[in-house]
Amino acid sequence: MRVRAGLPALVAVLVAAVVGCTSGGDAGSRSAAVTATTAHHTVTPTSLPADASPREVRARFEQLLGQHALLAVRLARSEAAKAPELQKVVEGSLAANADAIAQTVGMSFDGAQADRFRQLWQGYTDELAAYADAAAAGNRAGAEEARTALLDHCDAWGAWLAEASGGRIQAATATKNAQARVEQLMDQADAYADGDFATAYKLERATYQGTYGTGTTLARASLPAKEAAGLDAAPENLRSAFAMLLGEHMELVIDAQRATFAGSPEFEAAAAQVNANTATLAKAMGGIVGPEKAAEFQRAWANHVEGLMDYTAAVAGNDQAARTVAKENLDGFAERLALYFSDVVRNVLTTDPLTDAITAHDEHLIDQVDAFAAKDYARAQQVQDAGYQQMLGVANVLVDAIEKVMAADMPAGGSKTGGGGAHDHP
Amino acid sequence: MTTGRTRRAATATVAALAALLTLAGCGGPRAGYAGVSSTVATTTDRPGDALEAVRGFRSTRGYRATPVPVRLEIDRIGVATRLQRLGRAGDGTVEVPSAWGVAGWYAGGTRPGDPGSAVILGHVDSRSGPAVFYRLRELRPGDRVEVVRADGSRVRFTVERLEQVDKRRFPTDDVYYPTLAPRLRLVTCGGAFDPASGHYRSNVIVYARLSG
Repeated sequence: MRVRAGLPALVAVLVAAVVGCTSGGDAGSRSAAVTATTAHHTVTPTSLPADASPREVRARFEQLLGQHALLAVRLARSEAAKAPELQKVVEGSLAANADAIAQTVGMSFDGAQADRFRQLWQGYTDELAAYADAAAAGNRAGAEEARTALLDHCDAWGAWLAEASGGRIQAATATKNAQARVEQLMDQADAYADGDFATAYKLERATYQGTYGTGTTLARASLPAKEAAGLDAAPENLRSAFAMLLGEHMELVIDAQRATFAGSPEFEAAAAQVNANTATLAKAMGGIVGPEKAAEFQRAWANHVEGLMDYTAAVAGNDQAARTVAKENLDGFAERLALYFSDVVRNVLTTDPLTDAITAHDEHLIDQVDAFAAKDYARAQQVQDAGYQQMLGVANVLVDAIEKVMAADMPAGGSKTGGGGAHDHP
Repeated sequence: MTTGRTRRAATATVAALAALLTLAGCGGPRAGYAGVSSTVATTTDRPGDALEAVRGFRSTRGYRATPVPVRLEIDRIGVATRLQRLGRAGDGTVEVPSAWGVAGWYAGGTRPGDPGSAVILGHVDSRSGPAVFYRLRELRPGDRVEVVRADGSRVRFTVERLEQVDKRRFPTDDVYYPTLAPRLRLVTCGGAFDPASGHYRSNVIVYARLSG
């Protein structure tokens, strides 16, 4: 198999990088980040540096746009739930997310475009909230009015993106894509308000993945043509795809945790999407490490996910003893997941640093459900934002490692698939 | 003065009320399960079901390896061939099919339909005439390519583009690098034939995406 020989190096780099990422950033600051309960609602990324690489610009736009979609979904759900405290927290996160996108637009385009973006985005998110409100209330006339306004915003978005990109993005294409995303968000709100949770949770994934792609478009639009073309290189696309899937894993587990407090049908719908994400991740790993190691990965990952759900059940059941057992089990699963990687590298690496990184991810999800159960939605949102960012960092270092391995291990050059000159076409 | 029976009745009543309050979401700061309507308040009417559902949750575990490809069919250019499994040659290149009339799948890479780029190679000609991929360069965007797998299932791809590249500048990343999107790459020889080396100087590559 093409990567087998390079796997020790891959995992060595991965472990080192994940540990560095975790200890240097999220894990070390996690406690401080999540202890405040109400003063700050969100954990937003630091500002995009002025000398950000095209890769960083792309990652930032994708991360923020994906987060926007998830927050928009949750805003609609909090409206339907008639949960004003939760809604307030989500609105705060949506505003912080919009600020972060505008800051990135300002850095990658210019200040004037940032102002224009902010104006457009404000109108769009206002109408999105109006639609969610109308859908939750069964107000068909209000929903129709908001729908019309949202589709008008898609036209304005397409025109802005075409102008801001200097014509490299076609207005009609941008408008069409924006309409597709907005339609998914509205359909999600309708399905959720109607209690069709299976559809609502499927649409959540679709709109997350689609809006994540809008981030790619924004990055392309903001960069000089040559740099924008470089974003389409195979390693860049792999990096983006892994970041999307790992961020999605984090968010879908949180969905399932929260749905536990809502009712059986909703939990089952959320859990089905957690499983869909797991299957996709395993297949993605299979494309790199082959079917046997991918099957191993899936088993280890399944233990991780089930452990998180066991802990959630213990919290929901207010069962302290079960919580303790579940936490101990999660620690064990983290060690085994780390051992999986250690086995891949033939025990060259110790497992402790990798175990710590996985445990930090577990703790985000533990803290999140603890806070949510205690109705401390601000803290739950903080942990969620921090955890989302940690997963994207892990994806980055994973693909850095893959890139190094692949460079040395891919088949060399072209093929000698001709025999004798019967097809001599210059 | 209360009797033991009265106290037991009172205790039972308080316990029942406490249980009801807990189920109604009034059980204090750690009411947890029924106390928080995370998303839709109206679905808490059967809260016990949700707890049982989460307790019964099972993650998907059975990794389903996609069956290996055994046959390639491209109606547009009259290709219908079994597929030979190909490994790596000593010089690091992918082996080429051992027969002129048979295409080969690079078994060290992706299986068709899985995330990633599945790669199929075929000769363009032999010393005596056309080989299996002789007409590969006639493919155009939108043309259909079908792969039959060992279990009889079919996976369909749509041609996106075709290019002819100098072998010295073979786009290795575009052909072999992992991707999460299911892709197919068809590779053969093309361009000018170099009599000195006995090989063509270029490769023809067809890029296709999954269509069903």
